[in-house]
Amino acid sequence: MVTCYNIITIAVNECRTQKLVEYFKAQMRKNPDMASAVAAIRTLLEFLKRDKGETILGLRENLTWATDCLTGVDSSVAVSSGGELFLRFISLTSLEHQVCCLLPWEGVCDLTLAIANLCFSVFQDLSRCKKVMEERGELFLEKISMSRTKVAKLCHTFIKDGTKILTHSYSRVVLRVLEKAAAEKKRFSVYVTESQPDSAGRQMAEALRKLNVPVTVVLDAAVGYVLEKVDLVIIGAEGVVESGLYHKIGTYQMAVCSKAHNKPFYVVAESFKFVRLYPLNQQDVPDKFKYKADTLKTVQNLSEEHPMIDYTPPSLITLLFTDLGVLTPSAVSDELIKLYL
Amino acid sequence: MPGPDKETDLTERIEAFLSDLKRGGSGTGPLRGSAEMARETTSLLRRITAQARWSSAGDLMEIIRKEGRRMIAAQPSETTVGNMIRRVLKIIREEYARSRGSSEETDQQESLHKLLTSGGLSEENFRQHFTALKANVIEAINELLTELEGTTDNIAMQALEHIHSNEVIMTIGRSRTVEAFLKDAARKRKFHVIVAECAPFCQGHKMATSLSKSGIETTVITDAAIFAVMSRVNKVIIGTQTVLANGGLRAVNGTHTLALAAKHHSTPLIICAPMFKLSPQFPNEEDTFHKFVSPHEVLPFTEGEILSKVNVHCPVFDYVPPELITLFISNIGGHAPSYIYRLMSELYHPEDHEL
Repeated sequence: MVTCYNIITIAVNECRTQKLVEYFKAQMRKNPDMASAVAAIRTLLEFLKRDKGETILGLRENLTWATDCLTGVDSSVAVSSGGELFLRFISLTSLEHQVCCLLPWEGVCDLTLAIANLCFSVFQDLSRCKKVMEERGELFLEKISMSRTKVAKLCHTFIKDGTKILTHSYSRVVLRVLEKAAAEKKRFSVYVTESQPDSAGRQMAEALRKLNVPVTVVLDAAVGYVLEKVDLVIIGAEGVVESGLYHKIGTYQMAVCSKAHNKPFYVVAESFKFVRLYPLNQQDVPDKFKYKADTLKTVQNLSEEHPMIDYTPPSLITLLFTDLGVLTPSAVSDELIKLYL
Repeated sequence: MPGPDKETDLTERIEAFLSDLKRGGSGTGPLRGSAEMARETTSLLRRITAQARWSSAGDLMEIIRKEGRRMIAAQPSETTVGNMIRRVLKIIREEYARSRGSSEETDQQESLHKLLTSGGLSEENFRQHFTALKANVIEAINELLTELEGTTDNIAMQALEHIHSNEVIMTIGRSRTVEAFLKDAARKRKFHVIVAECAPFCQGHKMATSLSKSGIETTVITDAAIFAVMSRVNKVIIGTQTVLANGGLRAVNGTHTLALAAKHHSTPLIICAPMFKLSPQFPNEEDTFHKFVSPHEVLPFTEGEILSKVNVHCPVFDYVPPELITLFISNIGGHAPSYIYRLMSELYHPEDHEL
């Protein structure tokens, strides 16, 4: 009897997982320019709309499960941070709609929230709460889809005529910044690293050539060689952590070289990439971010694989351009604290 | 009729201020201290609030922005003018929010939290009319003026914590704030000051004379001797013209040399700067300025033969990156350079960074 029930739940779960993953992949295909985190949040919002749970606790559990599924498909830091942000959004919205006798203050820990939900779940007007969540979710999506434009507006003033820029791998945010600078009729030239193992740098070079920007592709090993010609370095980010930055492998050495040459090292990132992690060295980068999702599932001995992400400490970063403004690296931690505590 | 008279009076005062700004900038060094400039700007803004015709907060902010842009265009190197305008704009926003009774969000900034919880795309157009708004804004500006009056004293009060007996302090050029700081410490402690003369304007000489009149042992050195003497120095205390948004400085020329020498000898570099000098500009942005004055200080016109063959420049300011700075002492206390972003978010609203 029990085993029969287990088999059914497993089958149901697999079916749900498949539907979720299908929707996510469809979103990514429909709009290849969209950030993977935005697609993940859209998927979670759709999941929220279709969820038939009766309690807030159940809803949160389902959403946590859904986020885990999505990180199983695309193991990038941005998807994980986007999912965490959405979960936080649910907690904050549901908190506002609590029957107001209990917990008037924010910054409540998960345990008390769970207890409160257990007590009040029966008396909660869940449907009204869900409606507000959906509305807010749509608004949230709208705001973060404008974030790249805001970042580009802030950053392009730092590019002057005759600037030579160095960038790493393919980043859509950096591309948007350079588009805006080109639209403002600035003359600049770009060096892009090839960025092995997936040669993403060539994709970036193609996109830049379409904008009529003079671009040169250089080897990853040639970063030190090229830096004396370059005026500034602009890179994107996979994730912004409290103590620095996660980006494509090769970023750390670019940062160290630019510090040695005294060139400004700018990072452009949207705010949904902020993650509440505090790595102190390269070892602290979690395996689930370092390797692609399929690699993690299939390969037994990870020490033979090439990592895709490395960690850059904040002492090497000059400024961070985000849709929350131009931040010094010490301000990132502040923003995260304001949200999560 | 009192109406048009007040208006012409107001426009006259604004024009007088603008021409003063234009004149005051050219010449050998600042003719007026930044504190005076800040005070005059704030009084003028208070007058505009009191006398100009406006019905809602949005109108007032538009008027102030318009006049502000003219003032900044008249003398771009005087950043305190722009800073005061942004402070007043923030005051207006706060008073408006308070009149509306909306929950006093201490962060009007964008933040991750706001992104998640706000109910709609915030379209604050400040169109509502409140009768008490004028009085509240003027009162708040008066508070700002009181704060401005007390800045030098507040900074000088902190002197005894930083200066100890028998220390050798180095400074460069002439800063009224540092002068008051050192004089206050001299009341209770005995120490030695070395002043770098800061060519070509040699304001260091005036500083040395003033300090020695208060009984402080002072030595004047040339700028070239800074590195040589630095090994004997315990602390470097300087003033600045502007504090930039990344924690760097725009200070009198020669300061970068001083900062590098201090870093090399691991001597702490302390900046005495009141809060009105904090500006939301970044050093590498498009329209950051640099100021060059007449090069006759460097190479006088009497050397006519050489002048036709060489290019002579006389820059006024220097940029000092935040890594070389140890501590900022302002009228609200001491801060590390990495904390400047926080102070900025408290003083100015992000939409006012570009007037």
